[in-house]
Amino acid sequence: MVEVHELVKIFPTTEGGEKRAVDGLSFVVHPGEIYGLLGPNGAGKTTALRMVSGLLTPTSGHARLAGFDVITQREQAKRRLGYLTASTGLYQRLSPRELLRYFGALLGMDKPAVEHRIGELIDWLDMHEFADLRCGGLSTGQKQRTNIARALMGDPPILIMDEPTLGLDVLTNRIVLDFIRAEAARGKSVIMSTHYLDEAETLCHRFGLIHEGRLVGEGDLAHLRERAGKQRLSEIFLKLCGHAEHVLRQRPVAAGQDREDQ
Amino acid sequence: MKRYRRVWVVYCKELLETLRDRRTLAAMILVPIVLYPVLMIIIVEALRAETGRRQAERYHVAVPDELHRAWLRSVLDREDAAMEIDDSKAVPGAPGPSINLEEGPVAFLRARLRSEQVEILVLEPGGSLWDLVAEQSAAAALSVEPPPNPEEAADLTNRRVLILQNDTNPRSEYVAAQLGSILQNEAERIVRQRMSKLPGGVATLSPLVLSSISTSSPEQQFAKILAMVVPFLLVIMTVTGALYPSIDLTAGERERGTLETLAVSPVPVGQIVAGKFGVVVTIAMFSTALNLGSMTAMFHFSKLAQLAAGSAPSTTMLPADTIDSAGAAAEGRLTQRDYHERRRQLEAEAKKKTGFIITAAPIVLLAMLPFAVLAGGVMLATCSFARTFKEAQNYMMPVMMAFMIPAMVVSYMPTTRLEGVLLVLPVANIVVLIRELFLGNYQPAAMGICLLSTCFYAAVAMTVAARLYGNEAVLFSDVGSYKTLLRRRFIKPASHPSAATALAAVALVFPFYFYWQSYLVNLDDPPDRIRLVIAGAQLLVMTAPILLLTWFFKLDFRDTFALNRPRALPMVGAVLIAAAIVPVGNFLRAVQYQWFPPGKDLLGDQLLVLQEGSLVSVLLALAVVPAICEELVFRGFLLSGLRGRLSTLATILIVGLIFGLYHMYMEKIPVLTLLGALLAIVCLCSGSIYPAMLIHLANNGLSLTTTRYEELGRILLMPSTYDAAITPRYDYPMLAYAVIFLIGLGMVLLTKRTAPHTS
Repeated sequence: MVEVHELVKIFPTTEGGEKRAVDGLSFVVHPGEIYGLLGPNGAGKTTALRMVSGLLTPTSGHARLAGFDVITQREQAKRRLGYLTASTGLYQRLSPRELLRYFGALLGMDKPAVEHRIGELIDWLDMHEFADLRCGGLSTGQKQRTNIARALMGDPPILIMDEPTLGLDVLTNRIVLDFIRAEAARGKSVIMSTHYLDEAETLCHRFGLIHEGRLVGEGDLAHLRERAGKQRLSEIFLKLCGHAEHVLRQRPVAAGQDREDQ
Repeated sequence: MKRYRRVWVVYCKELLETLRDRRTLAAMILVPIVLYPVLMIIIVEALRAETGRRQAERYHVAVPDELHRAWLRSVLDREDAAMEIDDSKAVPGAPGPSINLEEGPVAFLRARLRSEQVEILVLEPGGSLWDLVAEQSAAAALSVEPPPNPEEAADLTNRRVLILQNDTNPRSEYVAAQLGSILQNEAERIVRQRMSKLPGGVATLSPLVLSSISTSSPEQQFAKILAMVVPFLLVIMTVTGALYPSIDLTAGERERGTLETLAVSPVPVGQIVAGKFGVVVTIAMFSTALNLGSMTAMFHFSKLAQLAAGSAPSTTMLPADTIDSAGAAAEGRLTQRDYHERRRQLEAEAKKKTGFIITAAPIVLLAMLPFAVLAGGVMLATCSFARTFKEAQNYMMPVMMAFMIPAMVVSYMPTTRLEGVLLVLPVANIVVLIRELFLGNYQPAAMGICLLSTCFYAAVAMTVAARLYGNEAVLFSDVGSYKTLLRRRFIKPASHPSAATALAAVALVFPFYFYWQSYLVNLDDPPDRIRLVIAGAQLLVMTAPILLLTWFFKLDFRDTFALNRPRALPMVGAVLIAAAIVPVGNFLRAVQYQWFPPGKDLLGDQLLVLQEGSLVSVLLALAVVPAICEELVFRGFLLSGLRGRLSTLATILIVGLIFGLYHMYMEKIPVLTLLGALLAIVCLCSGSIYPAMLIHLANNGLSLTTTRYEELGRILLMPSTYDAAITPRYDYPMLAYAVIFLIGLGMVLLTKRTAPHTS
């Protein structure tokens, strides 16, 4: 279970101003649910997911993973989290097996448990042929499978995926999506952000549409269709974001405006 | 336990990965192992080639006529004949030509111009020697006036010889120099021949035959040569060794996109940095050890050590059969012959012994460890800023310079000793320390300060590295630039400094404080001026920057400096401690001196001059100002930065130790560390800085006042003699003070601890 409450992140800009990247974001993801966080570039998806993962400290608000606050109970929270992005790198000079051992050890698992889990993951993700080659020489698909295995090493109840399919070929894309579905079916809470709305439409149970750091629409597909009066997710998306754009323009204090420091 | 295990896991993984990288392996292993022998071979071969070329080459020397040609040829032939005798055996007692023929690699360059190499050109009628040399058809030209006499070289005519040369041409320069020395020798031969016809003969020419021998063993002489080069090389090697892994483990990790993965794992940043840091230090030390080993092996196998030892430049010995020491021997004194004999033995023994450097190597390596830690910390901290490998390499250039320049400067100052500011000057102190180790000078106190201060700087560097590494502006480069890290408007107000800020601030102030004092304090000045300088240092160099930082980082002054009203119980305790602090301090000092007796001058006698003049001025400069300034810095800024981050015990000890180090006198460090720790305890328990200031004031003020009022001195059990100062008193008055002190301490400790950082 993921609980996000009124998250705000303000960044200083180099010009001396400040930017509200995320502005009062709240949502909840239940076990077994795949929550799609959708939005245009620069909407604040990545910043939001980084805050939920405890990588960034929110300016205000809080996030809880399986009941643990990501800032004050950082270690317990992170222990229950699998985090994956398309840009995540691997250690070039380690083999997938060594890499998994390393993260297993960092999670505090003991040796037999680590080896057992590695065996399971290698079977499940069909990594036999490359488990002992250096990561530097793997294909993109093999790398992404290794990354999935890495995220699942501690069998975490929560998965956060930031554009997990960005730049992947059809085959690897399929592997990633299958794995997300399978993990959700096993009762995990999954949050993913993506640009590919078609993909999201078939995969996610619920959606949060984010624009300029705010949630402009939330709910399952039926609810969003009803609200926007549109059928396709991409049309719904355009409609709701356009509406938000209109509302924002009416407000005098908007995002991106300089504020003097108190 | 778990935290150490995870640091270990990170360490092992990073080490494995680093060692799998060919670039590191090449830099770390191949370079030192191959570099030195190859360098050695190249240098020796180059010297040989140069010498060979010079000896094979033919040079043209122009002369005005046939007479000159015959004369010059005969001179060159005589020189060849004389040198052949010389090379086989030095002419006894003769301060003749080139008696100081050094063996060793340099000797290659001492090649001599032989007769067969010189082709003598006779000037065409109407030509000019000037033109021949200027146009480089001749390397040099010679003209003798009045004309030479080839038949009778040693006639009684004195002549002027002019050598024309072109000193922009190295060949011309070489030939001219050689001709000069050959003619010098010829002149001596002529003088001898002329003298041989006079009564008394040639012996008249040598009223004093000089010889000088060094008492240092060849090993020491070799060490002297090593001491000039090796420390600098070692510093470079350590820094170079740390360079690559620190870039790879920080900027490299970010560039490859693995940093985010690591950050999301349930391991605190401090532990990740500690593991990486361990790898950097390991690689740096390994590289240093390999370099040292390879250097040792090169010196050993190339027999450079023996060559160096044999060529002791300060020694010119006479052949044994020329020394007549009968007179001295008859009187039973040691004779010159004995001394020469002793020197010969020393050198013979040294030829048998090898591997002197091997015995010095382990201790030198040990001394390099804190330096490696410092270098690793600074480099990791700097690289943490960089987003790409390239960027990190750019940042590393100035850092490398910062390490190399002090090392280089100090290695050009061979007489610099381990004292004063140098003790705490990063990098330079280690270079001098290693030099002293090579020279066999062991000064435990000074070396202790050196190593401790280096450890301190290293700890600061590491703390800063950990802080930067975890910073989100550094973690995600797209999140706003790191430039905003230091812009005041983006600094969030905080109640107290972070550990990194506190340690870094104190570490930066540390050397400047000593520059100021050693630059401006001159013990010959009037005491009032010296006191002004000292108080000025405390106020301007130490406290003002700290106050400025507190403002800049928007810290809460009240919280940072514990400017709270003290509660009654600890205040009473502090008064009791203040009353007993002087005798108890003296007692502890005496106990320490029982084990480590101080030098007589180290009891601070030279500082007595500071206490002359009006008592008010003395107390103001040496008691009131330090009590306020040092408390604000150590028990205020530093303590509030550390507390809550470390265990209470560690906080107290670190504050005490840094306080002790700040006073620079090794003899004073133990007791001052205890005092610093005590003041930290008082400040922590009372939640206020004022009781600590009171105790500090009493400690400094009372002992200064006793020098004016003997009665007070007696009451406070001040030792009046050296013996009294180093003998602990075990009597009732002392017991009474101890009891008062302990009751005071008890009252302080019994105070309910204030929660850290409540305002």
